[in-house]
Amino acid sequence: MTAYVTVKGLSRVFDVSKPWLNRVLERRGKAFLTAVSEVDLDIEERTTYALVGESGSGKSTIGRMLVGLLRPTGGEVEVEGVNLDRETDRAKVAKVRGDIQMIFQDPYASLNPRWRVRDIIVEPVAVKSGDTEGLAERLLEQVGLHAADAGKFPHEFSGGQRQRICIARALASEPRLIVCDEPTSALDVSVQAQVLNLMSDLKEEFGLTYLLITHDLTVVRHMADRIGVLYLGRLVEEADPTTLFETPKHPYTQMLLNAAPRIDGFGREVDPPQGEIPDPINPPPGCAFHPRCPIARDICRQERPRIRPLGATRVACHLAE
Amino acid sequence: MTASIEPTPTAAEARKTARQMRRFDNPWLNPKLFWGAGLLLGIVALGILGRIFWDPDLVFTGSAMLKLPPVGFENLRGQAGTLANPLGTDGGGRDVLALLIIGAPNSLFVGVLASLIGMGLGIFLGFTAGFVGGRTDDVIRVLSDVMITIPPLLILVVFQSAFGDVSLTMMAFLIAGFVWQSPTRLIRAQVLSMRESGYVQMARLSGASTFHIMFREMLPNLVPYLFGSFIANVTTSIVTAVGLEVLGLGPQRIPTLGRTIYEAINAGALIQNLWWWWGIPTALLAVMFIGLLLINLGLDEVSNPRLRKLS
Repeated sequence: MTAYVTVKGLSRVFDVSKPWLNRVLERRGKAFLTAVSEVDLDIEERTTYALVGESGSGKSTIGRMLVGLLRPTGGEVEVEGVNLDRETDRAKVAKVRGDIQMIFQDPYASLNPRWRVRDIIVEPVAVKSGDTEGLAERLLEQVGLHAADAGKFPHEFSGGQRQRICIARALASEPRLIVCDEPTSALDVSVQAQVLNLMSDLKEEFGLTYLLITHDLTVVRHMADRIGVLYLGRLVEEADPTTLFETPKHPYTQMLLNAAPRIDGFGREVDPPQGEIPDPINPPPGCAFHPRCPIARDICRQERPRIRPLGATRVACHLAE
Repeated sequence: MTASIEPTPTAAEARKTARQMRRFDNPWLNPKLFWGAGLLLGIVALGILGRIFWDPDLVFTGSAMLKLPPVGFENLRGQAGTLANPLGTDGGGRDVLALLIIGAPNSLFVGVLASLIGMGLGIFLGFTAGFVGGRTDDVIRVLSDVMITIPPLLILVVFQSAFGDVSLTMMAFLIAGFVWQSPTRLIRAQVLSMRESGYVQMARLSGASTFHIMFREMLPNLVPYLFGSFIANVTTSIVTAVGLEVLGLGPQRIPTLGRTIYEAINAGALIQNLWWWWGIPTALLAVMFIGLLLINLGLDEVSNPRLRKLS
């Protein structure tokens, strides 16, 4: 097994300053939001890597940098051994870009309402002037819809069907890596399972690699081969599902798993997580989690922990053992 | 007997359903659009056919007797209307029918031209602001926000008084300077929200060109807004133009509906009970506005599939 995607020291900073006039009048400097901070991860070929974290933890930003919708401010992304930002050979970059596709969270906003399903699905191929004859019909049947649906408009479909169309579109250019940005969070629970099963089947069939971005721990447990937990744009723990769910090492992961509602948990007293995710414009020094951490010591307030291997896990915590 | 009665409603129903299905498949066959376009085309036809079948030279002063009433009416002097001037004449001896034939298309022309120029500017500025962003966006946004707060009639009154006599085209250009703001804002807002939508992101990561994104992905979604905005702008432009003309500004030598009304008011047509002088041009303006409104409603149905219903 080789690493298909290698991410090293990836960072992204957004300029969230107020307009110039407001800054002058209110005597404030520029403001910068660190959405992703020095993330290292490897994604093996034909596996599913899941990124989990709360809202604002930077998981979508990582996905968007991976597909090339955003440029990283620091660090690098290598796909198939090609650094997409530095590589000067355009043909190489175009080839790798063509191997990456994306599925978005909101199936209602990700299909152009004025295009027929056929045109939507073949678009990734059509913009590169590839052969699109019968492609849409074939893909629609592969994702469990009818070939005849190709002539319809998106508003004639339900949320689950639309997400199937999005998947068909992502498959059109025969990609090897699909970044799925919360593919099921906008869907009903009953439809979620169908879409996830479809994604698993397609992964087997086409030998796909997934980067699954989600906040839903149950989804992760079923789908992922490797899970990365993000907190405030930092990767705090990474392990395979069994290890992560049974022996979480990082106090944040432990808190997250404890807070998740369980089917068999009726009448169980749940300790709600303490505190809020800190302001990413002004992150705490040292370990980002220390203000909420029950076992924080002095070192956590001063020194940022590096991610280090610990058994089958990689964890960024001074105290984990 | 029952057998002979029964097929009739079924056949009628089938026809009705077929008609509805046709309407659904081809939304251009909707009655609102049909009537609206009919009314406006009627005004255009009045201009074209009138020039062929009626003598346009009758718009000159003194071409007929003064203040004649329409056919079938009497004026205060007891003169009856004649077929030579079927809609009567004004205080200067001009034939009212000829005035309408020349004036109504002129008013429509000013409105459409001003609106076209305004939309062109608006589309260009809106896309630029939405796509380029940054300083350019700031400048365009502030400019259109400031312009939208200025009442156009006030400025135009000053302009026109300074210019004196203007041509129709000149007036259209002046009005166009006040109708580009709302399409600019509208398109900028839509472009900004669409830029983050899944389908535009998808097109970008598939390597589509900016041109493709603008014209293939975004513009079709703007069509309902553009149509609505265009027709609304035509209405605003005509109102502004007529407003100026009724104040005695605008073109001095070219007959327009507004100018006819101005002259009627100026000559005391109301007190002399010369209702045809001001009444008929006003009625024609009303027809024009109703036509524009119906077109707007009809176009909305065409460009927004969700408004189409099988009823």
